[in-house]
Amino acid sequence: YCCLISSMQSGYSLPTSVVAAPTTTNPQCGSLRRGFHCAVLRLQDESKSDKPPSSTSSSTTYHEHYQAHSAEQDAAASASDPAFYKIYQDQSGEQDEEYETEEQLQARILTAALEFVPLHGWSMEAIAAGAESLGLSSASTGMFEKGSGDLVLHFIAQCNAQLTEILAEQHNQVQLGQAEPKKTADFIRDAVETRLRMYIPYIETWPQAMSLLLLPHNIPDSLKHLSTLMDDIWYYAGDRSTDMNWYTKRAALTGIYNTTELVMIQDSSPDFQDTWTFLDNRIQDVVNMATTAKQVQSTGEAVVQGLMGAAVTVSLLSYIHHLNSLFS
Amino acid sequence: MAASVRLLVRQAIRLSHRNITVTAAGVSARPPCRCFSESAEERSTHFGFETVPEAEKAKRVYKVFENVAQKYDIMNDAMSLGIHRLWKDMLLHAMHPQPGARLLDVAGGTGDISFRFLEYVRSQRERQQRRAVRFGQTLSWQDISNSYSTIETDGPRESTAVVCDINKEMLKVGKEKAESLGIIAGLSWVVGDAEELPFDDDQFDIYTIAFGIRNVTHIDQALQEALRVLKPGGRFMCLEFSKVTNPLLARLYDAYSFQMIPVLGEVIAGDWKSYQYLVESIRKFPSQEEFKSMIEDAGFYCVQYYNFTGGVVALHSGFKL
Repeated sequence: YCCLISSMQSGYSLPTSVVAAPTTTNPQCGSLRRGFHCAVLRLQDESKSDKPPSSTSSSTTYHEHYQAHSAEQDAAASASDPAFYKIYQDQSGEQDEEYETEEQLQARILTAALEFVPLHGWSMEAIAAGAESLGLSSASTGMFEKGSGDLVLHFIAQCNAQLTEILAEQHNQVQLGQAEPKKTADFIRDAVETRLRMYIPYIETWPQAMSLLLLPHNIPDSLKHLSTLMDDIWYYAGDRSTDMNWYTKRAALTGIYNTTELVMIQDSSPDFQDTWTFLDNRIQDVVNMATTAKQVQSTGEAVVQGLMGAAVTVSLLSYIHHLNSLFS
Repeated sequence: MAASVRLLVRQAIRLSHRNITVTAAGVSARPPCRCFSESAEERSTHFGFETVPEAEKAKRVYKVFENVAQKYDIMNDAMSLGIHRLWKDMLLHAMHPQPGARLLDVAGGTGDISFRFLEYVRSQRERQQRRAVRFGQTLSWQDISNSYSTIETDGPRESTAVVCDINKEMLKVGKEKAESLGIIAGLSWVVGDAEELPFDDDQFDIYTIAFGIRNVTHIDQALQEALRVLKPGGRFMCLEFSKVTNPLLARLYDAYSFQMIPVLGEVIAGDWKSYQYLVESIRKFPSQEEFKSMIEDAGFYCVQYYNFTGGVVALHSGFKL
């Protein structure tokens, strides 16, 4: 009984003391009553202390310890002592946060793997190195069915989330009146530039990543991420159109984004100046096109440009994929 | 007091009688006399379509594999028309081990999985080295001098495979095969029981058991042991005969199993009964979904199964997270 208490108590303490706790409480488990009193005092001390409970599980060993102890905690919590029950209730919310799902663990492995991408490229070796850095065996890479495509998709989802945060923050500032609203063309330009700059740390290996996204089993997910990104950018730019414009705007932006990305991967100018110049020119083209379209009602032109942009993108990407397969 | 002592003495005598009858009767005899058995103590399990006490199953399985050990590989080729090689290759492909991984091949017997594992890892390592050399050709002087220092400190981790089997005959055959194939480094042979592995906790990256788990008396114990010896993040993979989904294929498969295989066993290996046991034990093994839930109950995550050859063979995989 007292060992149950000591393990329950050790489950609540910070990770570093988990290992230490059992050894210190064992000598005290002399007589049942004495152990009970000591443990109750210990628990009361903990509940009164100002130590903030750890709310993030930073290591899988802690997580596993939690799993092993949750059964014991359940058993201990059913004890009729009010002190135990109160503490169990207080900590129960914390327990739910710390129990990690498989998806969260996979996300953690992939995030850790991004560090090793400059060394190993977008490959299973990078994921294995990421898993090992978290203390897991390299065999856990088997969880990722799509292999290195999973890593690229995870990175892209991360970048998209970051961009959405930045755009939402800017939007808030405009709402609060702390910043001036930008013109649409400038807004689009800044959003695309911010998004593409996230690739700069991985620019050496980015062609490999792009070719991975073209593989048939990865295409649905990569298209989904791309379309969500375009949608988000237009939404924060203020587009609320409900007619054909919705499609033409997104198609145009997709063309601009993809062609700029392609220019970026072979750009060697300082701070990618050539890329941003190219971006400016393309946006200017679209703006000019839009004004002419308004004047002569040729919405079809914008669609054609978007389609041509997409066609150029696909042919260039497949060429790069072809080149990559020759070299790897 | 005296009465209870007498009771204990009587029980002890009964137990010793039972043990004597079992050893005297030999392996191929009928199960021991029921009048001595206590229903609380003795549980029975299946040995093919026969029902036997649990204690006896392990012994009978041992005898089966002792008999077939010499002709095991030839019989595999004959019975499956060589397809078992493809199944084992697909297991390796699904596993795709990273260099430096440690494999435990339980019920590995003649070592097929371990040989393939070592081959795979070696060719991967060669490919990595070739790639490193190719990219190294455009390195600057600084990078080259850096790489000299890393070669000494960062020794490449060698992959090792441990073949564990309860049957010494099978291991002997496996060792001979290894020597003839010239695979010596990185391989070790251990005698051990899948229900009680002679290894410490958190030792291995990958645990495989190919066509062996249906012979284990307590499958859940074997799964518990697998969980114990795997490192966190380690993978459990089990290749086993399973239920065929397609009804037409099922009929053909049943006909082939019960008519052809024991005959092949008699002709090639001179042992009808062992191959009868083989075919029956396949039928007694739980289905894909049932086995998947058994693996999940043992504590594995992300459990999946893949059917090969229409469900004749299934590969179950789980992770220790």
